[in-house]
Amino acid sequence: MRGFLPFLGYRVFRALIALWLVSTVVFVVMRLSGDPVPLLLPPDAPRSEIFRVRAELGLDRSLPTQYGVFLANIARGDFGRSIHFREPAFRVVLGYLPATFELGLTAFALAVVVAAPIGLLSAMRRNSFLDHATMGLALVGQSAPTFFLGILFILLISLKAGLLPTSGRGDWTHLVLPALTLGAFSMASIARLTRSAILEVLRADYIRTARAKGLSELVVVAKHTLKNAAIPIVTITGLQFGTLLGGAVVTETVFSWPGIGRLAIQSIYNRDYPVVQCTVFLSAAMFVVINFCVDLLYGLLDPRIRSH
Amino acid sequence: MIELTRREVLKGMAGLGAAGALPHVLSGSAQAQTTQKREFVLAQGGDISKFDPHFSTSSNDIRVSFNIFDNLTSRHPNGRLYPGLATEWKIEGQTTWRFKLRPGVKWHNGDPFTSADAKFSIERTYDAAAKTMVATALATIDRIEAPDPLTLVIHTKKPDPLLPARLGFYGGQIVPKKYLEAVGNDAFNAKPVGTGPVRFVSWVKDDKLVLDANPGYWGGRIDADRVIVRSIPETAPRIAALLKGEVDAITQLPPDHFERVAGNPSTKVVGALYAGLYVLAVNSKRPPLDSPLVKQALSLAMDRDLIVKELWRGRGSVPSGPIAKGDNHFDASLPPLAYNPTEARERLKKGGYKNEEVIIETTVGYTANDKTMAEAIVAMWRDAGINAKVEVIEYSVRAQKNRDKSFKGLWWSDPTSTLGDPDGMMWRLLGPGGPQDYWREPRFDELGMAARFSVDERFRGEAYREMTKIFLEHLPWVPVIQPYEDYGVQTYVEWTPNPNQQFEIRRFNFKFRRA
Repeated sequence: MRGFLPFLGYRVFRALIALWLVSTVVFVVMRLSGDPVPLLLPPDAPRSEIFRVRAELGLDRSLPTQYGVFLANIARGDFGRSIHFREPAFRVVLGYLPATFELGLTAFALAVVVAAPIGLLSAMRRNSFLDHATMGLALVGQSAPTFFLGILFILLISLKAGLLPTSGRGDWTHLVLPALTLGAFSMASIARLTRSAILEVLRADYIRTARAKGLSELVVVAKHTLKNAAIPIVTITGLQFGTLLGGAVVTETVFSWPGIGRLAIQSIYNRDYPVVQCTVFLSAAMFVVINFCVDLLYGLLDPRIRSH
Repeated sequence: MIELTRREVLKGMAGLGAAGALPHVLSGSAQAQTTQKREFVLAQGGDISKFDPHFSTSSNDIRVSFNIFDNLTSRHPNGRLYPGLATEWKIEGQTTWRFKLRPGVKWHNGDPFTSADAKFSIERTYDAAAKTMVATALATIDRIEAPDPLTLVIHTKKPDPLLPARLGFYGGQIVPKKYLEAVGNDAFNAKPVGTGPVRFVSWVKDDKLVLDANPGYWGGRIDADRVIVRSIPETAPRIAALLKGEVDAITQLPPDHFERVAGNPSTKVVGALYAGLYVLAVNSKRPPLDSPLVKQALSLAMDRDLIVKELWRGRGSVPSGPIAKGDNHFDASLPPLAYNPTEARERLKKGGYKNEEVIIETTVGYTANDKTMAEAIVAMWRDAGINAKVEVIEYSVRAQKNRDKSFKGLWWSDPTSTLGDPDGMMWRLLGPGGPQDYWREPRFDELGMAARFSVDERFRGEAYREMTKIFLEHLPWVPVIQPYEDYGVQTYVEWTPNPNQQFEIRRFNFKFRRA
């Protein structure tokens, strides 16, 4: 494990820089995009009212001062008070996280459980009907816009066939359509990448050697192919995991799913700076942590990476 | 209430708009279903942000707060003012109003409602320390007295003929003094207590709000044990939820989805002619819009009948001036605004129009059909020889421009008549210092000011007639349509909507059709 601690330290440092950059960009962009006060007050509110509310929200201070206060507060885990909900932004976002995790994890599980075996089978039966059919479907999954898929599912499965609820959060039946919609892109990406990664390994010399040794196909695949094809598959899977947990704006909006993606978009419309900052910060943090775990996994999968 | 079959609907579509201000029910089936449901589920286009009625005026919030809370006065779907928590009121002299309060009313927590609550609530709205979002709603009030638990005396700064109307809209919801002072603003907002027909049970943000019927409601227990409010932001899934029977009613039904809901056997469309207008507000300070003749040409070159027929499927009517149909002092003898492109060209010539650019800054979805209408109108104007152009802006940019008064030409506005009177719409927005103060005319201002502070309705009527004349010459707004506000409901729901976007569930306007 020589060199592991500096490796870890470097990774943590990079993660912190990424988080600082993300929060700064969000801070600047949100302030460039306009003032939340006209959206809060009735249209006939007098100017004195507008100035009063601006002062109350601390928006009358200079941008550098606001930025300083913002950074100092974040360091203490304080994201400020939501302008829209009038309660701590962190508490607002926490309230939305369970729904996002529920949807994200289900979509992810669905994607991995379905996509990995399909990718593997397609690679092993290359150019068969199964390969063409699944990869054709994967292409559709990857290229169809999420809002289109979502509304198509609602119309066909929910409304015409009367099988599942159209929207909202409730028991497991409410989860199926949004998870399918959200997972479709990841499923397609993982299936296609698994297929190509495995195909590449299957062409390698050591696989020919393994077969020449007379090993059964099962052993060739399980022991020699999968492990060697794992790095790209783990990379894409990790990336997809981060994306799915970061909140899915379109899927959550189409299915009225109360997750942080929908919260983020509503908060952007409402110019609710604290909530947008907190949501983006948490999403970025999740992404960074997952990437970090993926990096560690590389080390487990391929000892050569650890020593480098 | 008028019941129509589908064929009649299709036949009478274009003419419907002119049928009057009464709410309509348009059903896809002649045979309405019945239900044994005790739970009423409503889906609206956005979630609630606050329950404290003095901290929000957004339509998603007031749909709920007008049901948890009551006002002293209550505007019913027919547009008239009725007793609410006050049973009667009268003016004494010019500036003193005496309100008799309803005896025996209890807050949801069991405390009795008294004049101390009413005094506290109204004073809270304009109390600088309370920092409410409705500070201007009741700003005509000078001081309030509560001589006994069931009497409230309000003194206004100047004569205010519309005080009872003001008390019936936002800002006027009465909140409990004792409970609010005991728990503070934040706890009150999280767990509101009112006197209304439903009481707060639970709320999961962006998911659902649960309200239970108030069994001892003074206006009679409503015909449901539980009311659930869901937020479904996208139009297509909101309609799908209605068609599949997952919800009993939906708000914000756009005209192009009218047929799907009206044509479905188990659902119907319920609408009310909007208490307000959709207008193109004009920055009359920027040439060529500083010329009344050019603005008259813009109005004459607009084929409003076609807009109502094609873009609104007949769900609206052509305005005749700045006062909405259904409001006090609406002049029914005025003809709808005319379409005459030849005359428009004449007036452009007379007005010295030199092909300057005329820009409509439109939002997408701020009001129903805003962008589509802007595109259609610009095409009509181009046909009449006007160098017109559409620019698309985002909601918050619009809010910002509204504040800075920096619109380039014309923009969409959907003034709501908050008081059922021109003072609460035309004068509120177009008056000096108002949010749409881009044009001044001494006589218009003189009349508007006099009408605001007069308790003589005859005088006010004459003032508004003369103001309408001045308005039609100068057109600080180009009125486009008075549309229907449509809701989709199950056929077993009998509910009459309020024209001013108050979504009230009361004994007088809501019941389930039982077997």
